[in-house]
Amino acid sequence: MARYGMALDYKSCINCKACESACKEENGILLGADKHRIWVGVKDIEGIFPDLSISSSGFEPSQCQQCDNAPCQTVCPTNATYYDDNGVVRVNPEQCILCTYCMEACPYDARYIDDRTMTVDKCNFCSDTRLINGETTTACQATCPTKVRIFGDLDDPESEISLVLRARDHHSMKEHLGTKPKLFYLT
Amino acid sequence: MKTELSRRRFLQGTVALSIVGATAAATALAKTEHKSKSKIVDFGLTKTQWSDKLEEIPTLCEMCVNKCAAIARVEDGVLTKLNPNPLFPKSRNMLCARGNAGIQALEDPDRLKYPLIRVGERGEGKFKRVTWDEANEYIKDKMVKIIDEEKDNRSTIGYCAGEGMAEHTYASFMGDKIGSLNYVNHGSICLATTIAGYTLTLGGYGQADLENADYVIMAGANRAEAIVTPDTMDMFKRTKGRGLKMVVVDPRFTNTAAHADTWLPIEVGTDLAFVLAMTHVVMTEERYNKRFCEENLSDFEAYKKHIIDKNYTPEWAQAITGIKADDIRETARDFMAHAPRAIYYQGRRTAWSLQDYQLRRAQAIFSAMGGGIDKKGGIIFGKKLPLGEHSIPSPMYDNALERIEKSKAASIGNSGSWIAWRNTIIDGTAPYPVRAFFAYKQNPMLSIPNTAKTKQMLEKMDLVVVIDTMPSDTVMMADVVLPESLYLEREDPVKSFGGAEPSIALRIPVVEARYDTKPVIEIMRDLGEKLSKPLFEISKKYDESLQEEIEERGEKEVYKEEGYDLADGYRHSQETINHHMVSSVYGEEAWKTLREKGVFYPDMSKYFKKVSANEYEYYPEHKKSYSIIKGDLNNEPYHDTCVDINEIAVLKKKFRTATKKIACALYNFEKRKGVDAMPTWRSELYKETPEGRFKFITGRHGQFTQSGSSNNALLLDLLPENYLWINQRIADAKGIKFGDTVEVRSSIGAIEIKAYPTEKIGKNVVFFIHGFGAESSELTLAHHRGANDNAIIEDVYETTFGSAAMHETIVDIRRV
Amino acid sequence: MNFKKILPYNRHTFSSFFSFERTPLNVFMLMLTVGLVGFLLYGISVYLQHGHHAYGVTRQHPWGLLIAMYVFFVVSSTGLCIMSSLGHVFNIKAFQIIGKRAIIGAIIAILTGFLVIAFEIGHPVRMVIYNVLTPGLTSAIWWMGTLYGMYLFFIILEFFFLNNGNHKYSKIFGLAGLIVGLAAHSNLGAVFGFLVARPIANGVFFPLYFILSAMVTGSYLLFLIYGWRYKMKFPPEVKKFMVTLAQVLGLLLAILIFFEIWRALTAIYGMMPERGDIAIHMITSKNFLIGEFLLGMLIPFVVIVYSRGRAIKTLVYTSITGMVGIFWMRYDLVHDTQLAPMMPLKIREYSLPPGLVEYTPTSIEWMIAIGAIGVSFMMYYTADKFFNLDHDAKGH
Ligand SMILES: Nc1nc2c(c(=O)[nH]1)N[C@H]1C(S)=C(S)[C@@H](COP(=O)(O)OP(=O)(O)OC[C@H]3O[C@@H](n4cnc5c(=O)[nH]c(N)nc54)[C@H](O)[C@@H]3O)O[C@H]1N2
Ligand SMILES: Nc1nc2c(c(=O)[nH]1)N[C@H]1C(S)=C(S)[C@@H](COP(=O)(O)OP(=O)(O)OC[C@H]3O[C@@H](n4cnc5c(=O)[nH]c(N)nc54)[C@H](O)[C@@H]3O)O[C@H]1N2
Ligand code: SF4
Ligand code: SF4
Ligand code: SF4
Ligand code: SF4
Ligand code: SF4
Ligand SMILES: [Mo]
Repeated sequence: MARYGMALDYKSCINCKACESACKEENGILLGADKHRIWVGVKDIEGIFPDLSISSSGFEPSQCQQCDNAPCQTVCPTNATYYDDNGVVRVNPEQCILCTYCMEACPYDARYIDDRTMTVDKCNFCSDTRLINGETTTACQATCPTKVRIFGDLDDPESEISLVLRARDHHSMKEHLGTKPKLFYLT
Repeated sequence: MKTELSRRRFLQGTVALSIVGATAAATALAKTEHKSKSKIVDFGLTKTQWSDKLEEIPTLCEMCVNKCAAIARVEDGVLTKLNPNPLFPKSRNMLCARGNAGIQALEDPDRLKYPLIRVGERGEGKFKRVTWDEANEYIKDKMVKIIDEEKDNRSTIGYCAGEGMAEHTYASFMGDKIGSLNYVNHGSICLATTIAGYTLTLGGYGQADLENADYVIMAGANRAEAIVTPDTMDMFKRTKGRGLKMVVVDPRFTNTAAHADTWLPIEVGTDLAFVLAMTHVVMTEERYNKRFCEENLSDFEAYKKHIIDKNYTPEWAQAITGIKADDIRETARDFMAHAPRAIYYQGRRTAWSLQDYQLRRAQAIFSAMGGGIDKKGGIIFGKKLPLGEHSIPSPMYDNALERIEKSKAASIGNSGSWIAWRNTIIDGTAPYPVRAFFAYKQNPMLSIPNTAKTKQMLEKMDLVVVIDTMPSDTVMMADVVLPESLYLEREDPVKSFGGAEPSIALRIPVVEARYDTKPVIEIMRDLGEKLSKPLFEISKKYDESLQEEIEERGEKEVYKEEGYDLADGYRHSQETINHHMVSSVYGEEAWKTLREKGVFYPDMSKYFKKVSANEYEYYPEHKKSYSIIKGDLNNEPYHDTCVDINEIAVLKKKFRTATKKIACALYNFEKRKGVDAMPTWRSELYKETPEGRFKFITGRHGQFTQSGSSNNALLLDLLPENYLWINQRIADAKGIKFGDTVEVRSSIGAIEIKAYPTEKIGKNVVFFIHGFGAESSELTLAHHRGANDNAIIEDVYETTFGSAAMHETIVDIRRV
Repeated sequence: MNFKKILPYNRHTFSSFFSFERTPLNVFMLMLTVGLVGFLLYGISVYLQHGHHAYGVTRQHPWGLLIAMYVFFVVSSTGLCIMSSLGHVFNIKAFQIIGKRAIIGAIIAILTGFLVIAFEIGHPVRMVIYNVLTPGLTSAIWWMGTLYGMYLFFIILEFFFLNNGNHKYSKIFGLAGLIVGLAAHSNLGAVFGFLVARPIANGVFFPLYFILSAMVTGSYLLFLIYGWRYKMKFPPEVKKFMVTLAQVLGLLLAILIFFEIWRALTAIYGMMPERGDIAIHMITSKNFLIGEFLLGMLIPFVVIVYSRGRAIKTLVYTSITGMVGIFWMRYDLVHDTQLAPMMPLKIREYSLPPGLVEYTPTSIEWMIAIGAIGVSFMMYYTADKFFNLDHDAKGH
């Protein structure tokens, strides 16, 4: 049993979208711009040429926050959304009725509809493709040119992610909502 | 077919799949519309599973020029995922978006599947399926006729190639075996000027050690979007106040600029003035590394005098470049303060303007003035691991004439000047006719400025043969189309990758070739078998030296020994050749390792360490090849104003230039060819942009490789088409809104494209991404998607090396 | 056994069932109904082929017109139930005549609501199974759905006992239906109110507002039902009831307007992100100003105040505008909740700076949503044929 989380050295991101394509291929996600588990947020630059404010621009890679207190889970009428043994928030497609309430409730726009099963899908930290085989990386982490992501067990005090989170400042997104995200942005 | 089966299994329980394609459009957020084709775009959809028959096969990516190491996950014979291979120091355990999308390239239903012969008019795109033998027979008949008529002038067969691991296999067949001197490749449309500039100045192009540099000037090099390994990976982990200070000089605010400490938007085509002014600052303020310059730069004093006499002051440059004099001063001073761990990045696609070559020279000298050459954190040359030899005899053809565009520039190398070469053919100034054209892995219809002229050139040919994987625009112009197997289906020549951490890597086929396609080595072999005898007969007819030889030694002997058997170098399998190349130098064990792991270097098992999931160590620090040029150690106390003596332990080096020094002046080149000995700003070579008009610039995008990946469904998901960058205020004044269709017109043509008004570009410049706008209707997804920049870029080239000057085109913009 | 004794109903032959007085209005209603049902069937057939792709819903705006329409119908149902309970549960004299007709209206409305939601939920059958097997007790949707199920059960029993004159039981089940209905309905409000991600919806407002607006809806519907029943020629006791209803409606509207004002003020005050901005967008939109406010509240309110509730004929007509307004209230409620993009930085390359999430219902959605009203008409016609829905001398 582990409690998986991810730290993102997001300042290294170059918006190359390797992570997004790797996730699509790894997890067999249908093509279509709306169908994604992972994305890169872009802060468009402010200012007027040539006086642009570099500090106003930047990239913010993101995906499901794997909330410890996940609104998507709370609202699910059939418990199709559940926490697995590793603390990963997952969807059981057999149980999902496609009410899309979870999509409404997720503060991070992390969910989408898989058109094959007609159920809601989301990032599962590659649980069924990698973790299940004993691999301890995710597809998005492995492929990234600038190595933005650090993935690991938050409960293991010696794991790389735990060490990094102890040593470096970080924040999470929309923490004020009480969702307790397990994605940490290193500053 | 296996994939079909597995996909069906995976799609069990499918509902409403038929409109998956259409939903690509259904995002409210994306106000840009994904022009959905009526087609289902779900091919190549894979999900990594856990099959009993799982294989993990190392290979190399060839979605672009970088050749990142990959590990293919093959389940029951179906490629389900490409993962990065951590063993390769050059690619540092990464695969970019395109690398991941290699599966889509493999699964692309539009791929060339079997040999084709044209049946309609040339360019009409009507072909019939034929066997390899029929295709080769057709080629033979035409070649025999042409070469006979041209009296064994082999150079009548022109040929081009795009960069690739097997480029040499093809080029050696066409050049060494068939005997044509008329070769053009990507050099003159890509990096010829910077390679030449740095090599003539420093003795090599080198490698920017961005892992250790403290300061870098990135001028017109967009490493965040134009991915080059390992530079891209090394840089951006350390930008934004984390160790590497970066000044980005680019007329556009790129993703690289987003990582910069300073962004200096520059007037297009004026970089030389910028570098000269920085040189002026450093010279007059004496901020350069004096000892290093004294010991290692030839004609340094002359150069200093030249710079000061010409009065290349920051104020002078401000008027030309649009960059403030103070910014120029500050950048120059900062650079030297960080030297020798400071780099003026060499650049990659440097086919920009008429002064490119001198610009690259000026950059190299400026970098050298800080001492950071052959030095950790500077420009380093590194080592390359030697490979065994695979030599094949090549015939000498008396009648093969010099390449046709030789006189069009001061120095035209073996790989030619694409534009000059093509124009020479169509304007009738060629000394003899070029009557056949072979293209391998290159798409000149979209890659060379002035598409109309490329078309004209191809129309003039008696024979056009194209070896490609996709029905590209160039394929549409072919008489014979020879389909190559995809990189994932073939073994390519083993390659050694130099650098501070050198290694050897191998491309191994990960799946069986699924159609009637072949790797180029087999294509060459088959062609060789077909052509050898008939072409030999022609040579016998016209080649007097050959006739003499035969008289002396006998026909059989000469045919064999002199390499007239054109297939002789291609009969062994690629695997056998690779085996020989590796094991003859490093032994059997090395070969085994290479095949098993995809990567090899001596002591790999000892040196290679996984530090964490994200960090790997390839060589221990003291084993890395930063400084490799031998020199004299000179430890006498020396008081230098700007540099730590320990940083320059080896003071006097022997660079690989003619003078063994870094060359500030190249007097010979000036004497023989009239090329300025020292970088000089020539205002007559600079074209100002008239008021109300725009200079057009071109470039890369992170998710596309030029025109080569334009039909890739996964990548098109990320960016469906290219847009015209135009300054927001200019657009407002012209009433152009986001998404409006605008016409971009130059002196050679016009295209239509959607507008993207933005403040990320200046008022007199417009830009769009290169590679879109294919005309080939066989490319279901790429067809008429976005616009082709080469339809409007004028066919201008600089006259030192004949390199394309792609940013010299003035355009007008109009809303339609 | 004689079923008719347990549940008295009128026997019909095929032709008697379809016979009605051929007034222009009736013929119009027939054509309207047939047209609406035709739309519905076509919409459903497209939905069955294309699933949610037939709708304009997106990842960022997963709930669309059908959710709004579902809310519209269940609010109507609850509204009718509450208003009718004023008479036979709370024994308010003037309302005692409305029993059966309102209850059958409530049943019809909720059935139509369920019909609509069946084409919105991806797997309605699976829903029934897993609602029971693995109930999500923290889910407002689960509670809403389960309580509405019970509610429907209770009001059917209530109707049953009303029909066979069992006052005791009809009262018990009426009360049960009312309580469960109120619970269900405020849970529907909570479906939105619980959304911590969406500051514009989050909070206590919706659960309360839903009850209030349900009562307004119920009142409009009663005007319409009775207007239709008596073709504007009201007997005295009905007239008396309708005047009282108008006065109650006036009061409800006043409270509603009061609610709305404070909701807007608190939302805008301080301009909290995703709340202030959205609220401003909301109250300046045509949907709100014309749809909700003018049609849904102001016109009826002015008529009532101006006539002191006596212009009941005009009120029947303004109830049509009222119901249109109520529709926009539902639509806006659903749409406005989703206006703010959750990840505003998530933009595709080459797009305009992110604005508010857009949504336009497709024609298929409109067909199903509006078409469903035709089903209500059909059901009402049938019920009216089979049952005696008028109050009788005995009381109800
Ligand atoms: N994703 C991706 N990566 C690639 C490739 C690809 O196709 N896709 N191609 C590979 C190849 S073959 C090459 S050659 C390299 C190319 O790598 P680069 O040379 O770095 O890339 P480009 O985008 O061609 O051009 C670089 C920049 O020059 C700027 N520029 C234009 N005019 C001027 C000027 O006058 N002065 C200055 N200072 N800047 C100017 C443009 O705005 C552009 O941002 O990328 C390689 N990597
Ligand atoms: N306007 C403009 N023009 C440019 C540039 C620019 O930025 N703007 N960039 C320039 C630069 S830097 C370069 S390097 C050149 C590149 O120009 P090209 O070398 O023409 O590269 P691509 O456009 O990618 O086209 C590659 C072709 O090779 C095919 N191909 C891909 N893989 C294989 C394979 O394995 N085997 C075979 N046989 N064929 C294959 C593809 O289908 C495609 O038709 O373009 C240059 N031209
Ligand atoms: S792969 Fe890494 S650098 Fe590229 S977009 Fe994703 S997080 Fe950013
Ligand atoms: S980010 Fe969204 S989908 Fe992921 S756990 Fe949190 S609420 Fe659920
Ligand atoms: S759509 Fe599926 S996972 Fe989401 S809340 Fe409804 S049942 Fe649960
Ligand atoms: S962890 Fe796996 S599933 Fe989640 S975004 Fe990354 S690749 Fe996709
Ligand atoms: S940079 Fe990308 S496309 Fe190029 S070789 Fe590497 S993975 Fe392949
Ligand atoms: Mo290139």
